[in-house]
Amino acid sequence: MSSVPENHTPGESVTGYSVAHDEEAVVIVGSGAGGGTLAYELTSKGIPVVVLEAGPYLTHDEYMNNEWESFNQMAWLDPRTTSGSWRVARDFPNLPAWIVKAVGGTTTHWSGATPRFKDHEFKARSVYGRVDGANLLDWPIGLSDLAPFYDRAEKAMGSTHVHGRPPLPANNNYKVFANGAERVGYKFYATGPYATNAEEYDGRPASIQDGFNFQGDKNRSKWSTLVREIPRAEATGLLDLRPNSQAVQITHDAEGRADAVLYLDEEGSLHRQAAKIVCVAGNSIETPRLLLLSATPSFPDGLGNSSGQLGRNYMRHLTGTVWGHFEEPVRMYRGETMAGMIGDESLHDPDRGFAGGYYLETISLGPAFMAAFVEPGTWGPDFAKLLDAYTNSAGMWIVGEDMPQETNRITLNTTLKDKNGLPVPNVHYDDHVNDVAMREHAYAAGEKVYAAVGARSTHRTPPYPSTHNLGTARMSERPEDGVVDRWGRSHDVKNLFVSDGSVFTSGAAANPTLTIVALAIRQADYIAEELKAQRI
Amino acid sequence: MVFPAKYPSLNATEMTEEARQTLIRVLRVAFPHQCVPDGPYERTADTILTEAQNETWFRVALTQGLLSLNQLSDGDFRSLDDAAALRVLRRVDGTEFFGFVRRTAVLNLYDDAEVWTALGYEGASFDQGGYINRGFNDLGWLPDPRVEFPEGETMPEIAPGATGAPRPAAGGQKTDSTNQPGATSSDMEEVKK
Repeated sequence: MSSVPENHTPGESVTGYSVAHDEEAVVIVGSGAGGGTLAYELTSKGIPVVVLEAGPYLTHDEYMNNEWESFNQMAWLDPRTTSGSWRVARDFPNLPAWIVKAVGGTTTHWSGATPRFKDHEFKARSVYGRVDGANLLDWPIGLSDLAPFYDRAEKAMGSTHVHGRPPLPANNNYKVFANGAERVGYKFYATGPYATNAEEYDGRPASIQDGFNFQGDKNRSKWSTLVREIPRAEATGLLDLRPNSQAVQITHDAEGRADAVLYLDEEGSLHRQAAKIVCVAGNSIETPRLLLLSATPSFPDGLGNSSGQLGRNYMRHLTGTVWGHFEEPVRMYRGETMAGMIGDESLHDPDRGFAGGYYLETISLGPAFMAAFVEPGTWGPDFAKLLDAYTNSAGMWIVGEDMPQETNRITLNTTLKDKNGLPVPNVHYDDHVNDVAMREHAYAAGEKVYAAVGARSTHRTPPYPSTHNLGTARMSERPEDGVVDRWGRSHDVKNLFVSDGSVFTSGAAANPTLTIVALAIRQADYIAEELKAQRI
Repeated sequence: MVFPAKYPSLNATEMTEEARQTLIRVLRVAFPHQCVPDGPYERTADTILTEAQNETWFRVALTQGLLSLNQLSDGDFRSLDDAAALRVLRRVDGTEFFGFVRRTAVLNLYDDAEVWTALGYEGASFDQGGYINRGFNDLGWLPDPRVEFPEGETMPEIAPGATGAPRPAAGGQKTDSTNQPGATSSDMEEVKK
């Protein structure tokens, strides 16, 4: 496994290949699900790319099977602020999102769940109707546009349950979850699809069920761009990868075309990389932040923001956790952290009192994270009991569609700056009444599942800092409704692309990574064709 | 009542053994686990004292807080039984002092290998080949469930009739106008039976 060579020059490539700073390059900001995939797809078509990654080049051997040590090693801990009525603003005011700052981005931390969007979830406005306070909009694409790319993404990631990949075995947490699901009458439960190998596939070994996943998978059984796309892009000889290089501004020429990316290395020195195409994939907080930081007299509200929608419609999925406490041991921490899914509630059924649907997925935390997250801010005998029940606990996570709202947004907090003197991002979020209704329904559904297999008590844990950050540079058919078009190409700046979950027009119930990867593969095909036809 | 923050000389103070013992008692009462031995509580108290040593403001808050505990206990917090001690802690729940102790304790007490053992958590397993041969699926009190979706069935995507229904109730709780109550508001007036 390659890592950073000794005597490496800050802000320069760590691969054997490098592009001159004044040579107009395809520059990708970020190396996670979107950026890492795009880098591999483009280099495999013979197109050289420069990848600017804000975080370090950690390798699988360096990962730590310890929750806090790993958190300090991988998590994006740069200062951020929060506002709004969401509970995260109270519990974790300086950690709105739980994402990764390292090569491979948040694919190194993700759980691995790979459900697809449903057809109607691309038409949220048409199907859900007018929902007060929600800024719903249909995607400019549908499931049929994305289906072939879902296939390619699932094969690349090795999703279980599809394309001949076998399911993961039932672990202890799943046994409780699935038996409960069966007893309450749910049908569509299974151990996947998850992009973690049940058997060796694509050069990656089968899971050894080591119980660590959010901490990076030392065993390399879980798909990430660090295990697959980055090394393969490097092997093409066309990847210039610059870790510890944080993009701080995209500049443009007199014609309004992006012409360079300015970035800081780990020593705080500023570099400039000339660009013919810029693809931003910094996750849904840093992507709008970078574009907002790139405002100029020609683009006074931020680069590519003629619609005013940049940074708005921030979505983070419903989320919530239900724990069940049983008479007998569960030992949920043994085995894959997430390897179970109930899909029965993922349908759109307004008779439940809300639009959209949700999945229930198994989850496990160690005692360190359990103490920090199970009921933030509390203490005393009731709190202690939640930990005393640890061995006999089973857990499930709620992932449901939240409503896009214009007022839920990323802005630059001009009263606070980071160590580079740049304004920190503020994340404002208010739960929509639809979100609250769905979360209540999901908590109750989870409790029923555990009660059906004899839980002596259950506990509702509020949302963790957001792992699914979406929607802040939404796709739209019309330029006035969103930031990018159906290809993720800026409506305003023709050689500017957004390549991450920021482009989601609406959130759907599904975990977003598979869709981000599918969109990136599709975008890579498009960019390659446009380059060939000299339309960029 | 004294106000340590007023006295710069208190920047040079150090915590006494009595303070440490009081802090250990605070942790025992705030995070009561019968299964956890003294070691982790002592280590967590020491972590708090070390952090207080490095941060003047924390040290001042801690000094003040421990003093308040004794005052609220009519003498010595350590002499109170569990129930009485818990009542005292509930009274200081909102203080800077207690917030600091709670935050530091939650992060450190439960990141202690001895606590993990007491709670039945086995921790890292990679070096031992994971849990694949060490009980990842040893739960025996429930039958083995299927791991695949039911064959030949398709997960429903939209409930029957959902597209023809009016917009969902949760989205429509606003009153349409002052003389037209919304779908979920009631029109309260004189009740005639």
